[in-house]
Amino acid sequence: MADAEAPKVDDLKEFPEFPGEKMSKAEFKRRMKALEKEKKQAEKEKAKAEKAAEQAAAKAAKGEEVKLDAEETLDPTQFYENRIKFVNDQKSAGGTPYPHKFHTNITIPEYVAQYSSLEPGVQKTEVTAALAGRIMSKRASGGKLLFYDVKADGQKVQLICDARNSSLTLEEFQKLHMSVRRGDIVGASGAPGTSKRGELSLFPSGFEILTPCLHMLPGHTGLKDQETRYRQRYLDLICTPHVRDVFIKRSNIIRYVRRYLDNMNFVEVETPMMNMIAGGATAKPFITHHNDLDMTLFMRIAPELYLKMLVVGGLDRVYEIGRQFRNEGIDMTHNPEFTTCEFYQAYADYNDLMDMTEKMISGMVMELCGSYQLTYHANGKDQEPITIDFTPPFRRISMLDGLKEAAGIEIPGGATNLMSEEANKYLLEQCEKLGVVCPPPTTTARLLDKLVGEFLEEQLTNPGFICDHPEIMSPLAKYHRSVPGLTERFELFINKHEVCNAYTELNDPQVQRERFADQMKGKAQGDDECMDIDEGFVKSLEYGLPPTGGWGMGIDRMTMLLSDSQNIKEVLLFPAMKPDETAK
Amino acid sequence: MWATRLGQRLAVAGGLPLARASRNGLVVATPRASKQAVHREQRTMCTATSPEAGVTNQQGKQKKEKKQKGPANGNNNNNNRRRRAAKGADEPTSSLEEIRAGRIQKASDLRTAGMNPYAYRFDRTASSAELASKYESLGAGEEVQLEGGDMEAVSGRVIARRAFGKLAFYSIQDESGTTQLYCDKAKLNQSDPEAFSRLSTLVDIGDIIGARGSMKRTEKGELSVNIAEFEVLTKSILPLPDKFHGLQDVEKRYRQRYVDLIVNPEVRNTFRDRARIVSLIRRTLEDDGFLEMETPVLETVAGGADARPFKTHHNALDRPMILRIATELHLKRLIVGGFEKVFELGRVFRNEGISTRHNPEFTSVEVYQAYADINEMMDLTEKIVANCAQQVCGKLKVDYQGTEIDFSPPFRRAPMNELVREATGVDFLALGDLEAAREAAAAALKEAGVSAHNIPKCPSVGHVLNEVFEEVCESTLQQPTFVLQHPIEISPLAKPHPTVAGVADRFELFIYGRELANAFSELTDPLDQRQRLEAQVANHVATGGGKESKGDAGYDVKVDEDFLTALEYGMPPCGGLGIGVDRLVMLLTDAASIRDVIAFPVLKSAE
Repeated sequence: MADAEAPKVDDLKEFPEFPGEKMSKAEFKRRMKALEKEKKQAEKEKAKAEKAAEQAAAKAAKGEEVKLDAEETLDPTQFYENRIKFVNDQKSAGGTPYPHKFHTNITIPEYVAQYSSLEPGVQKTEVTAALAGRIMSKRASGGKLLFYDVKADGQKVQLICDARNSSLTLEEFQKLHMSVRRGDIVGASGAPGTSKRGELSLFPSGFEILTPCLHMLPGHTGLKDQETRYRQRYLDLICTPHVRDVFIKRSNIIRYVRRYLDNMNFVEVETPMMNMIAGGATAKPFITHHNDLDMTLFMRIAPELYLKMLVVGGLDRVYEIGRQFRNEGIDMTHNPEFTTCEFYQAYADYNDLMDMTEKMISGMVMELCGSYQLTYHANGKDQEPITIDFTPPFRRISMLDGLKEAAGIEIPGGATNLMSEEANKYLLEQCEKLGVVCPPPTTTARLLDKLVGEFLEEQLTNPGFICDHPEIMSPLAKYHRSVPGLTERFELFINKHEVCNAYTELNDPQVQRERFADQMKGKAQGDDECMDIDEGFVKSLEYGLPPTGGWGMGIDRMTMLLSDSQNIKEVLLFPAMKPDETAK
Repeated sequence: MWATRLGQRLAVAGGLPLARASRNGLVVATPRASKQAVHREQRTMCTATSPEAGVTNQQGKQKKEKKQKGPANGNNNNNNRRRRAAKGADEPTSSLEEIRAGRIQKASDLRTAGMNPYAYRFDRTASSAELASKYESLGAGEEVQLEGGDMEAVSGRVIARRAFGKLAFYSIQDESGTTQLYCDKAKLNQSDPEAFSRLSTLVDIGDIIGARGSMKRTEKGELSVNIAEFEVLTKSILPLPDKFHGLQDVEKRYRQRYVDLIVNPEVRNTFRDRARIVSLIRRTLEDDGFLEMETPVLETVAGGADARPFKTHHNALDRPMILRIATELHLKRLIVGGFEKVFELGRVFRNEGISTRHNPEFTSVEVYQAYADINEMMDLTEKIVANCAQQVCGKLKVDYQGTEIDFSPPFRRAPMNELVREATGVDFLALGDLEAAREAAAAALKEAGVSAHNIPKCPSVGHVLNEVFEEVCESTLQQPTFVLQHPIEISPLAKPHPTVAGVADRFELFIYGRELANAFSELTDPLDQRQRLEAQVANHVATGGGKESKGDAGYDVKVDEDFLTALEYGMPPCGGLGIGVDRLVMLLTDAASIRDVIAFPVLKSAE
């Protein structure tokens, strides 16, 4: 039926504002008017919402409680019980308090990177961003507008939940947000934008609790108790800023070392952590028992001997990054399990390895910290930090020369006479004279170690090598090519702490056997820090170990330096702790 | 002819004392007991007429094949001789102790001559493989004259040698392959008149030497270093075992892996492939934004799996500890702590019997991703496994123990109950009643011809279903298959399936009838988790507390309270995945036993 007012078909045309539609001029005007009205309304609402948001944020910033969750004032037990009730109520109502999946399309760090340049007061309604994270703070302005800070992967974004944006009815909206607590993990989807003040925000249309937090999170000041930080590392990671950065740095250090060695064609291998003999170092091992084989096994204290066996087998460049175990006390720098990197390179010697160490370590610091100069709170966070300069080359101190220069110590008869009574007596006298305490047994090796600690290690705040240790201190290192009595060994010290230990490997099986025998003598004298003989290893040497340089680094200590941590527990995710006395 | 004969000789090179010289004057592997023996051997050296001989891996292999086929070329005489020689290895003229003493004497002689039998370092210019590619275009009979600092320097272990009076050939092996040293007395003696005789008398098979010289391709086409100088880098004082005898001894291969590696270059390749696989897994995850973490090996509660742990004791804390049986519960704590993508590739320990598939310590990679579920984990598994196959084997269809495995994604996906129903006709989940399930299972297992003795011990329908699956279906899953929807009773850490009752949102990947990976949509509900763990403990106690025999004290399974507390703080929805690295390496290196892919496997004590 033709309407009198119906426009003639000829009069219809397409307007650029409404692509794909043909309409009359009158209709176009009408549509434009409606659009205008919609737009104004939206702007009005937006302005209103933001005004409220600003007010709320301003109040919050001033420390005023906009609307504190009533439960925040409850004691923790009551809080917990209320939350359990909430979860159970949901379950009995057929709800899913722990949904299987929330589809995110952007992570919070990505969100921050993508939208932080938005002008204040913008809402990109044409985009739907879906993100998820943990609520670190909740503020409300009436029942229709709520503000959440949501954190994930170390970054934060604000959610501005306005009932009018929500797909829920007002009643549903209010019920949902009433149940949200600080600590809950939530998913939200909606328009990216900024508040009037320019704070990066998301204006969700969809919002759901993905995992309710049943406990009250520690207050905004974070965890104060160190013990709790280590025992409940997950809480520490939630509440203490920068903790996650330490572990990201740790991961990056290991990755750097791995890639460095991979690029030099080293092969990463895995050698046993449980052995019949604990060799390769001197330490008390953990003992365990294999049930089925009825066999006593020791947790490894170093992978050294196995790795050298692989070099005997023709794997010319091998390394292993992994856990070692020492059944010793726990302190600022010791944990019963710790991570080392050891590598072995056929046809290289300790000079090659010193050059390589300089390159690797200085390169690592440059890559991960952006400079050769590193600031480190060597004397605690409350003291002025020191600067450690990793610019290569590193200082090299030959041990006995260094002692002579620093303390005037000159062993009678020189390095070749180190095994003598005379040398032992001389060093004992020197220790007394210089006020260096060495608890018994006062073997020559131990006396020297104390003197080196006092006079040489103290000099090495910046990275430096102490080299050419006496044979008696280094049972697995090769005798020095030009100075009898010494070995071709070095230790790298940084901030006065040993970080690397390396040597030209002793590959003469007969000498190795003698050295082990000497170690047994030391053990008989009461020095626990002496090695057991490993016949299987000596036998492998008899098949021929090529000239080889071997190297070890403590990953934990390196991480402490690069993350400005003073306690090894700061760089271990779950450090070993004394039994919790306060636990029931 | 010559080549063939020499090849046979070489095949036994590296063997036990073969202080034999044939009429031709070929001397192979001559560890000697004493100086007298040295003189004896020197007397037997004479000039051979055709010193052209090549030793490459390939040629060596050909020789080996020929040999194994027997006298295919009618060369009976030589074959017999070889057999005699090999037999001689079993009946050495000198005992091992004598050989050892002889070689120690040689080390001492080297010192006397001013040479260090244990050198400090060596600068090589190229590996065997690098030389081969660098001089690829060098024609047969051609030589590149190099002098002074331009000379090529190579190093490696002597694995074969042949001497012809004024000419000798040494084959040295390095990581990348073998190189032939062409040792011309006149050239060697230019700088040191004793050099050639020292080479003949003081260098044994097994020694590690370095040499410098020009490059030459022999008339037979063998690339060689025409050496101007050499040095002993490491004197070996124990002789290498005979390739065809000693290293057939599997136990010895594992116990003295270094000898295995020297004598069987393919073993080196296995461990190089292992390193590549581990590296590929890491890179795939790192490129996807996962962060590698290190969680404790020493724990106070064993969780994340149901297995007997190793116990130990911390002295300073005077506290019993156990070695982790999985990394799961600590990694999940990190997801609670706000890391969204983490993994750990490392050792786990289970105090169980050893077999071709079990070593007490093994390597796993566990991956956790917040806001993901098993669907992402399936994609990730396919990506990791297929990527490793492609990179390591160069193809996706890989032969494993005679079966072709097709690693092309996507892998088949099938619910466990479906697989069991297809195989037995029984829909266990529909049965609902435990007694009915047990009866149906007993009948089904009887029909399949497998033992049903575990069925009466199954405490739930879910356990019955799993038992039937393991007995009837597992071995049939040769091609990669994701088995889905495990009974909830055997999946204490997995979320319930969103739609199917009684099963978990879980998968296991089976290849060649073996479980390779295991993944869940992780259970995030702490109340449900507590019930499940408590049920697990109750079940452990009810089934005898892990006692395997009379007098066995069994082991404790405890609820990890700290883990539950962590869950109470809220873990986001999370997908988790574990892959057995050793088993993946086995598949991709065609290794029959886990001991072939672990450098130093645990073995029974040698008596």
